[in-house]
Amino acid sequence: MNGYAGKILRIDLTDRKISTIDTKDYEQWVGGHGMGSAIFWDLVKDKTIKGFDPRNIITIMTSPLSGTLAPGASGRTEVQGIGIQSYPIGWFTRSNFGGRFSAMLKYAGWDGIVIEGKADKPVWVDIRNEDVKIKDARPLWGLDTWKTQEDIWREVSGRGFGGWVELDSERRTTQRPAVLTIGPAGENLSVTACLIHDAGNSAGQGGFGGIWGSKNLKAISVIGTGSIQIANPKGLMEARLWAQKKYSTDLNNPDASWVARFGRRRPQNLFWDKQEKARLNSCIGCHIGCKERSDTGYGNESTCHETFFYAGYDKAKHGGKQTSAAYIATDLLQKYGINAYEASRGLTYIRALERMGLLGRGKKIECDLDFRKLGETEFADQFLKMIAYRRGIGDDFAEGFFRAAKRWGRLEEDLKAGILYYSYWGLPEHSYDPRAEVEWGYGSILGDRDINEHDFNFLFWWPSGAIWAGKTPQPPAEQAVKIIAEKLMPYENDPLMLDFSTDNIYSEHMAKLVGWHRHYTRFWKESVLYCDNRWPEFINSRVPGYRGITGEGEPKFLNAVTGKMLTFLDGMEMGRKIWNLDNAIWILQGRHRNMVHFSDYIYNVPYKGTGNFAMYYLPGREKGKWDYIRVDGRHLDRAKFEEFKTRFYDLEGWDSRSGWPKRGTLESLGLKSVADELEKNKKLGA
Amino acid sequence: MIDEVKKKRKMTMQISRRNFLKFTGTVAIGAGVLPKLIWLDDAIAAIPASEGYLLVDTKKCQGCLSCMLACSLVHEGIENLSFARIQILQNSFAKFPDDLTMAQCRQCVEPACVEACPEKALYVDKKNGNIRIVDVKKCIGCKACVQACPYEPGRALWNSEKKKALKCDLCSGAPFWSEKGGVKGKQACVEVCPLKAIQFTKKIPEQKGETGYKVNLRGESWRKLGYPTD
Repeated sequence: MNGYAGKILRIDLTDRKISTIDTKDYEQWVGGHGMGSAIFWDLVKDKTIKGFDPRNIITIMTSPLSGTLAPGASGRTEVQGIGIQSYPIGWFTRSNFGGRFSAMLKYAGWDGIVIEGKADKPVWVDIRNEDVKIKDARPLWGLDTWKTQEDIWREVSGRGFGGWVELDSERRTTQRPAVLTIGPAGENLSVTACLIHDAGNSAGQGGFGGIWGSKNLKAISVIGTGSIQIANPKGLMEARLWAQKKYSTDLNNPDASWVARFGRRRPQNLFWDKQEKARLNSCIGCHIGCKERSDTGYGNESTCHETFFYAGYDKAKHGGKQTSAAYIATDLLQKYGINAYEASRGLTYIRALERMGLLGRGKKIECDLDFRKLGETEFADQFLKMIAYRRGIGDDFAEGFFRAAKRWGRLEEDLKAGILYYSYWGLPEHSYDPRAEVEWGYGSILGDRDINEHDFNFLFWWPSGAIWAGKTPQPPAEQAVKIIAEKLMPYENDPLMLDFSTDNIYSEHMAKLVGWHRHYTRFWKESVLYCDNRWPEFINSRVPGYRGITGEGEPKFLNAVTGKMLTFLDGMEMGRKIWNLDNAIWILQGRHRNMVHFSDYIYNVPYKGTGNFAMYYLPGREKGKWDYIRVDGRHLDRAKFEEFKTRFYDLEGWDSRSGWPKRGTLESLGLKSVADELEKNKKLGA
Repeated sequence: MIDEVKKKRKMTMQISRRNFLKFTGTVAIGAGVLPKLIWLDDAIAAIPASEGYLLVDTKKCQGCLSCMLACSLVHEGIENLSFARIQILQNSFAKFPDDLTMAQCRQCVEPACVEACPEKALYVDKKNGNIRIVDVKKCIGCKACVQACPYEPGRALWNSEKKKALKCDLCSGAPFWSEKGGVKGKQACVEVCPLKAIQFTKKIPEQKGETGYKVNLRGESWRKLGYPTD
């Protein structure tokens, strides 16, 4: 089986039983999310159970590309199961993290891990190639995520690192075990709790850290010395060098590059002031890193929102100059294992309440935090410890700030006023607001979580960044949407899919964009595990004519590894199949179209953004002419969004009255048994 | 005549590693005045220097291990980090630059691995620029070379699946690559490194210590990415 290890590890924590699943049984799903959803469907008979139920199964899946030379695809791992974070139902959900865990798992001989049951006392799982042991984690319980990993490294290596570590008389490695672990937040069953791997890779959404805590599972460590078979090694090497040379960062001219998707000259995805002495750092196999390790040791491997979390407060406190507080606060997020979005939106929210005189010492909502110290390390540590250890009002914070607001009796009012930025399913808003960048919001509310899929988000960053800097964005909007529309198979050559003007955001064109996005990501990014930070790439400023690698690149690497000869369109159809299976699970959990709506402020309060985000540009038509247009200042229309949903459900072949898939749609995708199950539960679309 | 050569080879082989190093250590090796041949005794021209070397910049490396993946891929047709002739070791929690090190084969002027091989399976490939390589047909899997490499981690590797030794050949014998390798061709690790943190050179690096092999490959453009060049 080229690209596969051949078996999936199944661990029943209740009986401490270890067994295997033949990967071949699920090979039709290719890998990652598809396999995870299919395994979940088969093994969890009652889909209505809650996230903390020991019967909840957590899948941790790799892809055929994990551990290979495929660029921006080798190091991602997909995590799934019933989550505890979303509201009113903890949806069957997903998260995903980078690093090298998936690669190491494959080298050890496993395509994935299926965790079920609940251990009677804290355990960790020690995987050394085919040897799997469930071990006593009491010495690790209470440790932060970094210390836990270092302790496990020490135990597995025996004599430490720096040279070859022998796993037995024949097999050896210079690599450290890849460890996935929870911190105190997970141990204390917080819905904000992440799974953390190495210094800064985390699966944050869904509350999987809390679920591991409920299962008494502290960590999984894996070290492998085995091989992954490659169908076409010459082809893989050639494809990698081709992609790198044509599309990736040109070191002599970093302005033009594959990472131009974010409109950034440099590849780092960091929002704090850069540290002077550092190295660029990447996940395994990546063609260009997005993180760093510095000479201070602060902020190692963190990226994106976690680097944004405290930098502003730090600067505001210190006269516009950032101190080490921003980095240390982020490291604390990683060490305690806390979802950066919950901490970030939560802090914004309680600060607003504090300013309103509602929260603080001796206030209606009693809170120990001294906001005069906001911006200092001490404040960040106190705030994050409250979440992680449920100290004082932290017991409410640990439930996520949506549920905290509910406990305080403020949910409805604060959602209406828009001071609680939780726009979909009780989850923190991502910064790409549904009122402005609708494809992000629509995808999230039609799915299970804040999508965190930046596929079209460069259409905000790229032109907005240029305009903020007083430049003219290139390529112009009309050319950009034409290039992208060519690649949106099977809906190709409909540029109106990318018209973000208010007149178009409820149209069938927009429904097609959202559908394409759901299908593309379900397969290419969550099953084949191309990284969200580097894929897809529609536009590339290094290439004459701007046409990016997407469409050609995705199947090229997959086929070189597996020899399956799938086309890009085959992948899109697989994505549609997986998306339908996920929807069937949500429907069995209780979903109906009546529940699919945003928080009130999305319909009532115009989006105004903060900082640069107050000038939010996306492509659109004004008076019939394409341009990058302002999309801030608007809110969604409730009735028109309902019409949009109908268009979307019709497009997907679902019953628009309920939002449930029809038998014909499911059967055409080879999901007859799914249709049968929905029918049995009286939840098949008519 | 053939017997004579064999006899001399045997003599060379019998020199223990310790004596070998002691003996050859007396030969002056400097960057400027490098002997093409190293004389083990007054009669045997034992080991000509390699005509190619890999240099690395440990401060430039992003730790993606693409070099390791490419090495394993072009040589073995599979992905296996343990079979990569260049090894990157890193620690997520450590401070730059001590968070990462790169360990490539040094193509030593005085190759302990060559000397240790009892079967002459690890030999100097005179047809290919004197690269020190393993003839897998001759390798008996005794691991003498693996143990002999004086560097940490050792640069002679062990293929646990085929029970054979592996060693960097500068891609002169990489069957799963369409490019020509070796001292007159390309090397997979050099080509694949996204940050150009590995470089091929024909000049013999300083043999003492690490400075000859760990160099600064960061030019002015490196500063554009936001990183120090010193």
